[in-house]
Amino acid sequence: MSPRLYARSLWREMRGARGKMLFFTLCLAVGVAAVVSVAGLSAALDAGIRGEARQLLAADLAVSGRRPLPADLDDRLAALGADARVDVVEMVTVVAAPPAADGTPGPSLLVEVKAVGEAVGEASGGYPFYGELNLEPPRRLGELLDETTVVAAPALLTRLGLGVGDRLRVGGEDFTVAGRVLAEPDDVGVGFTLGPRLFLSRAGLERAALIQRGSRVEYRALVRMPEDTPAAVLADGVEELRGALTPGWRVESWREAQPALRQGVARVDRFLALVALLSLLAGGIGVAQTVRAWLAGRLDAIAVLKCIGWTPREVTTLFVGQTALLGLAGSLVGIAAGIAVQLAIPALFPDLVPRRLIDPFQPLAMLRGLVLGLGVALLFSLPPLATVRRVPPARVLRRDAQPLPLARWAYAATGLALVGGLVAMAALQARSLPLGLGFAAGVAVATLLLAAMARVLVAGVGRLPALAVMTPRRGRRGGRGRVWWRHGLSALARPGAGTLAAVVALGLGTLVVLAMALVQRHLTDELAADLPDDAPSAFLADVQPDQWEEVQRVLAEGGAEDVRSVPVVMARVAALDGETADDLAEERGVGGPRSDDPDADDGTRRWALTREQRLTYLDELPRGNEIVAGALWSDPEVAEVSVEEEFARELGVGLGSTIDFDVQGVPLRVVVTSLRRVDWGTFGINFFLVVEPGVLEAAPQQRLATVRLPRGGEQAMQDALTARFPNVVMIQIREILEKIVGILERISLAIRLLGGFTVLAGLAILAGAVAAAAAQRGREVALLKTLGFTRFQVAAAFAVEYAAVGLVAGAIGAVGGGLLAWLVVSGEMEIGWRWYPAAFAAALFGMALLATAAGLAASWRALARRPVEVLRRV
Amino acid sequence: MTLQEAPTIELTGVSRRLPSGGRMLTFVDRVDLTVGRGESLAVLGPSGSGKSTLLALMAGLDRPDEGEVRIDGEEIQRLSEDRLARLRRDKIGFVFQSFQLLSNLTARENVLLPLELVRSRDAGGRADELLAAVGLGERGHHYPSQLSGGEQQRVALARAFGPRPPILLADEPTGNLDSATGARVLDLLSELRRAEGTTLVVVTHDPAVAARADRRVHLLDGRVERIESGAAAAAAEGG
Repeated sequence: MSPRLYARSLWREMRGARGKMLFFTLCLAVGVAAVVSVAGLSAALDAGIRGEARQLLAADLAVSGRRPLPADLDDRLAALGADARVDVVEMVTVVAAPPAADGTPGPSLLVEVKAVGEAVGEASGGYPFYGELNLEPPRRLGELLDETTVVAAPALLTRLGLGVGDRLRVGGEDFTVAGRVLAEPDDVGVGFTLGPRLFLSRAGLERAALIQRGSRVEYRALVRMPEDTPAAVLADGVEELRGALTPGWRVESWREAQPALRQGVARVDRFLALVALLSLLAGGIGVAQTVRAWLAGRLDAIAVLKCIGWTPREVTTLFVGQTALLGLAGSLVGIAAGIAVQLAIPALFPDLVPRRLIDPFQPLAMLRGLVLGLGVALLFSLPPLATVRRVPPARVLRRDAQPLPLARWAYAATGLALVGGLVAMAALQARSLPLGLGFAAGVAVATLLLAAMARVLVAGVGRLPALAVMTPRRGRRGGRGRVWWRHGLSALARPGAGTLAAVVALGLGTLVVLAMALVQRHLTDELAADLPDDAPSAFLADVQPDQWEEVQRVLAEGGAEDVRSVPVVMARVAALDGETADDLAEERGVGGPRSDDPDADDGTRRWALTREQRLTYLDELPRGNEIVAGALWSDPEVAEVSVEEEFARELGVGLGSTIDFDVQGVPLRVVVTSLRRVDWGTFGINFFLVVEPGVLEAAPQQRLATVRLPRGGEQAMQDALTARFPNVVMIQIREILEKIVGILERISLAIRLLGGFTVLAGLAILAGAVAAAAAQRGREVALLKTLGFTRFQVAAAFAVEYAAVGLVAGAIGAVGGGLLAWLVVSGEMEIGWRWYPAAFAAALFGMALLATAAGLAASWRALARRPVEVLRRV
Repeated sequence: MTLQEAPTIELTGVSRRLPSGGRMLTFVDRVDLTVGRGESLAVLGPSGSGKSTLLALMAGLDRPDEGEVRIDGEEIQRLSEDRLARLRRDKIGFVFQSFQLLSNLTARENVLLPLELVRSRDAGGRADELLAAVGLGERGHHYPSQLSGGEQQRVALARAFGPRPPILLADEPTGNLDSATGARVLDLLSELRRAEGTTLVVVTHDPAVAARADRRVHLLDGRVERIESGAAAAAAEGG
């Protein structure tokens, strides 16, 4: 066939079926629009979260340790593509107000010093890279600090009775207080703080000569990466740095800086991947059903074409070409719609993503939409297109002519192409081959299961006793009811009824929609649960045991609620299972990992071993703790410790391991008798190591407390506490928590939005697919009416048929969807599984209802017309 | 007749069995039949006697379970679907009871379709000529749904004769038409056939159709019951 004739035939074929073409295009467009807009929105959302979460670290990544930063760090950072770096030195020291006029020394206070260096790198505004350092007067830190000035937290000034402009003695040198620091972006030390903040310049730090041999100093390099660094590159960079640096250095990225956020971001990433995959599948189902329905109406034409001399190859090429053209059209419309959705979102939901972060015209995302759209169109059309080859030309003479046999290799090739294509597209969409494989395998299993159930249904219906009377018996109520009931059921088993395809399509659709809805519900509920009403608004640290009763009284007077406190004992790991920590650290530094666990990298494991540990002792575990191995306080013979599971991995201990602690000079041996999983999202006080009561009570200790204070009462409480207990440090965390809560709420809204969009799109596609198939049946309606069925009876017969298909598809789809959601929710996202019976019921009956309604709606025109109008058209 | 000595369609011991109502039924049973070049043959018989199946076998639309089918001496039952399609493209035209026009094509495009397929040099001219010959010169831009049954069948005739096939197979060409319209279609069919020297096999119930044929084959239960030839046909053709 000449290309010109091919093009002309293609054009004529398209011209003939505008309605169906339109529907096909729309189906695909909805799928592609979902892919494109999800890609765009997730990128914007990621950028948004990234922007805010980075504030909590004030950088993209940080390298910290107890020694001056290595000289080669700059080279290593440059290799990662970092574009700016600022070094910060933190330490604890005692500062004092200047002596009084009579020479008596001024009051002194333990403070946390932070000395900020000059930023290195292009166009950096210096510390902090992200977030705001709120100073008073409102100027840049660098402008306030020089060799002789400091900037101090209000708490420090209050306690020493100083103000801006006063002098402060640091390390024996006098400094002038140049300003107050009201808020620090990266002050999320929601744990143990020794004193209020004092900012110095690096020159000031040197002048004060604070760093002496043996001083406890933390050196930290804050690093900014280019704006468009993908999360995966950042994560790889962190891993690379950890591997490259010598022992003792800690590397963290903003993604890891805040556990509650870290979890949220990771879950959203997975959710978005799922949305994109499922929306693609939903589009594919719609495409397959439309092509099927459309070809069903073209069988006669195909037979005529073959009869007048078109070879099967030419006919197939014609329809494949048409599918490709429609795929192209659908993809382009979808891309346009995807862009429109992205443009509309900031207007509709201004809080979700700032408009500046949305960049809807991303050539790569558009190309991906195009490739996926075309791929889905061709792939999901393969099985129906295979029937084109099978149409017998003898159909022009006898409608019941047997289909031509399809060679075995053709079946195999179709199957292979389908599976291979699905894997490729899923991998492209999820950007992971294993995920693509898993997804394709899941779809294949679900399809086989659905097909098997459809066969069972057809066989079951076929066994019903043959219809005794097909025409309705007028005047006999009982008989009339049975006719449509039995006609509807037996229609399922009739040749060419398409029950198999309908059950598979609707079942997969149910699976997609239900899984989507369930995952979304779990995720939003989980995020809501992450924002407890009783989240603390302040932490108290350094409370001495004998002060605790008085502190509690002061707290109660100030209206504090939910006061929770735990004792804290500082200790170091001396030995694990008899091997000293020094030996172990060396082993981990030079040799391979001690255990085979690939999750725990050497750097983290060394750090776990060498840093100072905070122990507590508790009778019962706080909320959000769950024993995953062993039993709490179960062995009366030994002193027991319960270890957080991830920390146990880093440390390299398991059930039955002995840990020797050095508790400020006193040795203590404990045995690991339980492992815990901790939900860090509760914002409560949690410890890696909890020792059983009765062991540590006599050790030197302090108390750590969380309280919820009346809004606005924080400063008054801080003043009251400082006046009576100068050593007690109060950290207000409400602002930080609210920041985190805000981000989580935004994530949650985005998820509801995207999930809802996908579910709606899926339902629309399914309804359309049913309608497309039902619209083919005008002739059947006319025949039944000719035979004397009333319109009600025809409608009822169809309703029974569609409802049966919907119920079977809904049932299997619900099982599959539940399974998929469960895998994603509890496996991937690590959220506790909950049953949402309403969702399952909706899937089951909703699908029956949807199928029935869509089927009847599509048959409506045929029902309303006089039969002769339909039958006359030969 | 010299033409009949060089048969263009030749069936030898042809049988065809098909599943029907769960068992195999023999629709064509050991039929031997030859159709000479330029001859016209009518196939008659009651419903279910195997007429249409026989026609499908002659066209290579179906394959026999036993026996041989030859078109111009070529054994066709072993040809691939692609080869069969090319054989039909080059040698066989069809006319059906239900017209089988492509509904998404205009009348002219329906006539053009087989012409384009054989890369006829003046496809457009030939289509217009044929449409004029069947009296539809002005209706070429109409879609089948805008034409009456008789008009549709005339378009089908024009389509069938377009590429000048040596063989024309017709299945109840007047079955869906009233007698006056049917007669007009038959006249046109005879005219075109005479002009092109086309071999014709027509399956029919209609005595008026059968009367115009050179020979009449009567089928019963898939077997050739009897073959008539001569006067009636000559009279009809002559008249």
